Amino acid sequence: MRGPSHRLRFGAGVALGAVVGVWLAHGMVVQEQRDAATDLEVRKATVTLQALESLLQHGDPREVALGWRAKTPSVTQVRITRGTQLVAPESRRLLREEKPLYDRGQRLATAVQTNLEEGARKAEIEVEWLPGPRLLLAAPYEDKGVVEIETAPLPPPPSTGWLAFVLALLGAVIAFAALALVFGERRVQLSIAAAAVLGLALLALGRWSIAQVEDDRRAGAGALTQRIDEQSALVQSLGGAPGNWDVDEFRKPRPPLAAGAGRLRGALLSADLLALVVLFLAGLGAFSRIGVELRKNRQAYLYIAPAILGMLLLVFYPFTYGITLSFTDSNIYNTSKSIPEVWVGLRNYAEILGQFSFVKRTESGVVFNYLNFYWTLLFTIVWTVCNVALGVSSGLFLALILNTRALALRPLYRVLLILPWALPTYITALIWKGMFHQQFGVINQVLQVFGASAINWFDHPFTSFLAAWTTNAWLSFPFMMVVALGALQSIPADLYEAARVDGASRWQQFRAITLPSLRPALVPAVIISVVWTFNQFNVIFLVTGGDPSGSTEILITQAYKFAFERYRYGYAAAYSTVIFGILLVYGTIQNRLSKATEA
Amino acid sequence: MKRAFFFALLASGVAAAQTDLVVWHSYRAAEKSAIEKVAASFNASHPGIKVTTLAVPYDAFADKISAAVPRGKGPDIFIYAQDRLGGWIEAGNTVEPIDFFVDDATKARFIPSTMEAMTYRGTVWGLPVNYKVITLIYNKKLVQKPPATTTELVTLAKKLTDKASGRFGLAYWYSDYYYHAALQNAFGGRVFEGNTAKPVLNAPENVKGLELLVSWIDEGILPAEPSTALITALFNGGKAAMIFTGPWFLGEIDPGIDWGLAPLPKVVEAGGKPLRPWMTVEGAFIAAPSKHKDAAYEFVKFLTDLESAKVMALEGRQSPSNKAAYDDPKVANDPVLKAFRTQVEVAVPMPNLPEMTMVWSPATIMMASVAKRTIAPKPALDKAEAEVLKAVSELHRK
Repeated sequence: MRGPSHRLRFGAGVALGAVVGVWLAHGMVVQEQRDAATDLEVRKATVTLQALESLLQHGDPREVALGWRAKTPSVTQVRITRGTQLVAPESRRLLREEKPLYDRGQRLATAVQTNLEEGARKAEIEVEWLPGPRLLLAAPYEDKGVVEIETAPLPPPPSTGWLAFVLALLGAVIAFAALALVFGERRVQLSIAAAAVLGLALLALGRWSIAQVEDDRRAGAGALTQRIDEQSALVQSLGGAPGNWDVDEFRKPRPPLAAGAGRLRGALLSADLLALVVLFLAGLGAFSRIGVELRKNRQAYLYIAPAILGMLLLVFYPFTYGITLSFTDSNIYNTSKSIPEVWVGLRNYAEILGQFSFVKRTESGVVFNYLNFYWTLLFTIVWTVCNVALGVSSGLFLALILNTRALALRPLYRVLLILPWALPTYITALIWKGMFHQQFGVINQVLQVFGASAINWFDHPFTSFLAAWTTNAWLSFPFMMVVALGALQSIPADLYEAARVDGASRWQQFRAITLPSLRPALVPAVIISVVWTFNQFNVIFLVTGGDPSGSTEILITQAYKFAFERYRYGYAAAYSTVIFGILLVYGTIQNRLSKATEA
Repeated sequence: MKRAFFFALLASGVAAAQTDLVVWHSYRAAEKSAIEKVAASFNASHPGIKVTTLAVPYDAFADKISAAVPRGKGPDIFIYAQDRLGGWIEAGNTVEPIDFFVDDATKARFIPSTMEAMTYRGTVWGLPVNYKVITLIYNKKLVQKPPATTTELVTLAKKLTDKASGRFGLAYWYSDYYYHAALQNAFGGRVFEGNTAKPVLNAPENVKGLELLVSWIDEGILPAEPSTALITALFNGGKAAMIFTGPWFLGEIDPGIDWGLAPLPKVVEAGGKPLRPWMTVEGAFIAAPSKHKDAAYEFVKFLTDLESAKVMALEGRQSPSNKAAYDDPKVANDPVLKAFRTQVEVAVPMPNLPEMTMVWSPATIMMASVAKRTIAPKPALDKAEAEVLKAVSELHRK
């Protein structure tokens, strides 16, 4: 079959890529300009507010503020409060509708106090946008008061029009059309031409936009200096002294306004790369192939659409959200902040995986750091291996006994032995915890009957582990027993008969017939029970609770504690992601091995 | 059709004239009907406002507030203990400061320490509704006169203890930091230095408090591995003569037990200062995104005034924070309410700083290991302090 024309495909690719690249670039440039303008206006207003604050240190605040405002055209409103009193523009008690002013005073006073104790954490200058757009800036004043200014309506931010962007798009398309006439249907040449045309157009556009943004910056720096000079002169004429007023929200000096556009450059480059990817996807026919597939199996995709939607909402969204959260420092303090604001990259992972020293040697002997990830991982692995080993061997043992044909009351035993599995784990775990109580627990009482002394089960990591192990063994053997029993009953009896005729002993029969026949049933059961035990939250949380000192936590209970006792959501999310990774690796390896056993 | 339209218009007109307030609480049974009664009498006396109460299960309450309120989907008013207050304030847009509304007369009507529990970094955020505090509850058949000092307590408890048959003179959940706080506070101990968020878990006074507990354990008057279930079983079986517990325990007591309440004894080791338990104060808070804050404050004030406090006390069986309620003869003659009122005089509000949530986990581990005598008080506190400092710095770090 002869495919559609390469020229057409690459032409569409150039057009599509150019649209994507130009559209993204325009968005980024406008955003950058808007951010820079906002930042500049806030800085100018901050300088203005700081100038007023410096004047307020002497004289009657009302007169000073009104005198200053009369000579500052950029400010339309000044308000000063002290506790529940309004000081300027008039002197009276605050009205009930003016509660926000009072609350602001309290909030700023708290911010100053908090920052004194804990370093810069809370804004000491509050910025608010009013319709207009106008700016409201407020700083703390004396005892739980505020001094706040409202600016005159601000000019709209400079915004680059679409002209240059549309020109770049058209230029790329026309240039490619011209080149396509020259090259004909030669694919390699066409792809090089397309990439070159699109890349050059976007690069030129990028250079031009960066120049624009830099021009704006220079103008902004000039405006800021002008504002500082104006206010310095005004303050001096009113009898004050100028200071360094160009500060941030924590009232720390800011570096001078730089002319660079480093962030924009990187962002534009990534947009260009995306445009090239789109170009090649279209040019090499990926889009048309997907479209053909969708059309061919329209009915099949329609049928699975509801399921895909459900999976997206219920599985992939929480999953992606959890993984995203693991790259943040989300905790009880900042739940209302957005994810980019609390982004910390790989720090959580570095903290979890990067600390190896869980054993320390001190003069009083070896000390373990039980909160360390590797201790918990080690404990979890020991816990899983011991439990699965005990579960499989005890289950198999019981299944072999129950499989004896001559055994009387077989169905009764079977029902009794499945009971631990039928009871809710929660209840069983709590019953076992009670049985391990030091004084009133039945286990210690039995020990004492035989003359042994009572054991404080949860005082030592090892005995605590034994208690949890026993509980989990009680909970896990019925499953293995049922699986093994089912498999045992499906082994044909004539195999054993033939073996007996050949003179095989009981042990040889077990080794050569029973075990290999059980394998296909037991291997998947072991895989499942490893995953279950690895994440056996109930038993650990309810029986040992991590006692003593968090030494018997498994990974999943530790993640829970980080999230809901220490309120470090981001850290706990990273912990869970690590657990997921471990189980993913285990699952993949195990899958390969079991495929090998099946073959 | 026209008529229906007319009625719809009329209905919307009425709705606009009326302010609807939604109150979330976590009360059940008697407490629930008491608050519903208060809401009904508020609605009757305030024609323009209609208060609707909604009971939200306690387990999910705090998480629901954290999730719903900042997004503007929650109630106008909610009632909860002060321990989560700091966290909600720091997270922002959850609790509305009401410092501006609260005048001195309103402040003066509450037991001072309950008002303190509603204050975070110098600002008032809610009005206290009731408090819960640990006191001494004893079995009248075993204890004729409750002990006034710790020396008497130990002597009496020793006499009543027979470990072999599982009888104990004193039983309480001493391995829990909340219960233990009474001992450390008696010596002037504290979790945070002054009004700051600087943890001082290993303050010398806290060491003394823990040493007192260790001396009690060594006397053998306390059961090993305590838990609420064990304490309840012992007390109801007549095997624990005295217990330290709060109002939440009263519903658990077997009707066959003849019990009494008394203030916690004075600590001889601390120079005769009383045991000072932590108290939890339930406050009524206004949600920051609420559109009717003035009306909401009217209700919060009404809920904590004298008449409502009496309803909440006598019908809801709560200990009201309103001082004047205890002048009412019915309240004054109620032995339970009277006992808690006496105890609250020396109680200390549990810290409402969000950093407190970082304390619980290390403190629990510390208490468990000290209670089992695997580590001495001082090093245990040093270790817990180091862990809390680390957790707090991780939280504060930007």
